[in-house]
Amino acid sequence: MSYAIALDRVSKSYRLWGRRSQFATLKSALLRRDLKLSPEATVPAVKDVSFAVDKGEAFGIVGRNGSGKSTLLKLISGILKPTTGRVTVNGRIAALIELGAGFHPEITGRENIYINGIMLGLSRREIDARFERIVEFSGIRDFIDQPVKTYSSGMYVRLGFAVAVHVDPDILLIDEVLSVGDEEFSAKCIAKIQEMKYRGVTLVFVTHQLDQVRNLCDRALWLDHGEAVQIGDPVRVVDAYLQQVAAPEARRDAAPPAGETPARPSDEEERFGSGEVVLKRVALVDHKGRELVALGAGSAVAIEMDIEVRVPQDDFVFGLGIYHADGACVYGTNTDLEGFAPERLEAGGRVRFVMPSLDLVAGQYRVDAAIHTRNGRSFDYRRGVLRFVVGSRVHDTGVYRPKHTWQFEGGIAFKSMEKPAVPAQIAEAIESAKKKR
Amino acid sequence: MDELKNLYRYRQLIAALTARDLKARYRGSILGFFWSLANPLLLLGIYTLAFTKFFPSTVVRPYPLFLFTGILPWTFFAAAVLESTSSISTNAALIKKVMFPAEALPLVVVFSHLVHFALAIPILLLALGIYVFLGQATISATILLVPVLMLFQTVFVAGICMVISSAAVLLRDLRDIVANLMTLGFFLTPIIYLIDRIDSRLWRALLRLNPMTPFVVAYQDVIFFGHLPGAADTFLIVAYSLVALGAGLLVFDRLRDTLAEAI
Repeated sequence: MSYAIALDRVSKSYRLWGRRSQFATLKSALLRRDLKLSPEATVPAVKDVSFAVDKGEAFGIVGRNGSGKSTLLKLISGILKPTTGRVTVNGRIAALIELGAGFHPEITGRENIYINGIMLGLSRREIDARFERIVEFSGIRDFIDQPVKTYSSGMYVRLGFAVAVHVDPDILLIDEVLSVGDEEFSAKCIAKIQEMKYRGVTLVFVTHQLDQVRNLCDRALWLDHGEAVQIGDPVRVVDAYLQQVAAPEARRDAAPPAGETPARPSDEEERFGSGEVVLKRVALVDHKGRELVALGAGSAVAIEMDIEVRVPQDDFVFGLGIYHADGACVYGTNTDLEGFAPERLEAGGRVRFVMPSLDLVAGQYRVDAAIHTRNGRSFDYRRGVLRFVVGSRVHDTGVYRPKHTWQFEGGIAFKSMEKPAVPAQIAEAIESAKKKR
Repeated sequence: MDELKNLYRYRQLIAALTARDLKARYRGSILGFFWSLANPLLLLGIYTLAFTKFFPSTVVRPYPLFLFTGILPWTFFAAAVLESTSSISTNAALIKKVMFPAEALPLVVVFSHLVHFALAIPILLLALGIYVFLGQATISATILLVPVLMLFQTVFVAGICMVISSAAVLLRDLRDIVANLMTLGFFLTPIIYLIDRIDSRLWRALLRLNPMTPFVVAYQDVIFFGHLPGAADTFLIVAYSLVALGAGLLVFDRLRDTLAEAI
């Protein structure tokens, strides 16, 4: 029994709950002791997944939203029963699936610690022994005798995590809970988890924070549409997963619901892909082909991409995305979206994305460039490959400045401007033209 | 048997949750526990008024004491069963997010209502004492059997609540069905009338098909009339309790695995 968790060909289908099926469900559950699943009324969430986690191992599960990660965790914890296959677990499990799920708002933090602890399998005496450490860890001693309904959501999570990690489980299941709470508390949680790992606690993670998987886990599993795509070294699994997900098309499909994975603007360039085709150079150029890092609002510019082909391809898409410094996507497109059907990519070449007028408001921007297949496999994906600054005399706000003029009729009078009213972008263009001479 | 063992294993959890339930219910309310008595006392008042002043037909005296004896066990039963219809769905987070023994939930409902019932007993005894003092009632040693009756009734109510709470997850209509049955049940249980005053032997037998009838009659026997319950009622009490418990464990066991995804 060296393993802590073993899944043997586990599948799970959810039944769709319709109005009509309610009574039928009750009846079949009572008579046959299971839910009779008819094919048209079920959604497969996990398909034929097998793996074992050794004692003391840290195991990460990655995958898009809806790929079955949480279902898998619930199957391991015993909250859900597999439709087919078998789950074997050796040891006491604590599942951090939703922190503070058992808290009752009307009673105090102190009372909730006891109830939560009992729910997690501790006796009253065991909680007495741990109480001080739990309160200390949660950092909300001053509020411990207040009803939980007065807590902020951060305090709620702190208390929930504090109770759960002090249960001293043999196996700890963690579902995306480390992303909540402030930086300080997150760091504390990670330190606690590392300490538990050191003590030989088996860990199973589900997270979208891939660096956590790379740093904390011994092995990782990539789950896609309920199927195990890859199991093994966490760095490789995460890279393989990123390759597929990060392609713009795929990313659009997997657009996370608000709040789940906060977009993190990153300063370094991130690059990944198979390397069969590479983006040798990406540059922002003016109409004469000179590279720019700063430009006036409304300038005519182009983004140039120099391509090197190592393995000729029949299926290829060129994509570009322009992002504001705060991470918001200003614009994204690719040749596939715009109807270019790929025929052959054999030798190197240059792709030019020409913009007669880049109507952006003053600010800092970055560009992602990519070559990938139509189903999203990256040849070369360069995030933040290019940065540029847009300058403007007018301090308007937003990201997009539509071409415009103001017109006034009737009894509306303005004082005449000191300079002739030249629209800012024209003035900039004049100035840049002057410089060129 | 395994199910019973499990329940024993969860006793600390059930006790803690019952305490939480009671605390949470009355936190912030001034009259607290007395609210749980309000409904039986209002019923008591209105039926006393109706049957002693408006429509004086009663032969049982003192009528208020007789009513009180029947209303309390009925309230325990009706309130617990009604609340059990939503006991699992209101705690969906526990079932879905925590490894949590679902059978604890209906039992918490049963025990918190049992506490209400138990706290009302001293008030019943006080009322009895007053009528004894006034010379309108007598007290007998049979009253010592009340805890035994409560034990059996708790087993019975627990069984029913386990069936109802798990089935209600899959069949939401059950809540409305139960609410209506409880209204009917109040009149089909000899609470406001005396079963022995019914002439028809057949009707008396039919009324005893209502499992609450032998319980209520037995409470009236030992508290109000001061004699032992009849053999038939005693047999029915034991039988209904065991059947309900068996059914509760069986149904709950069969539905348990489907609860987490059905909520």
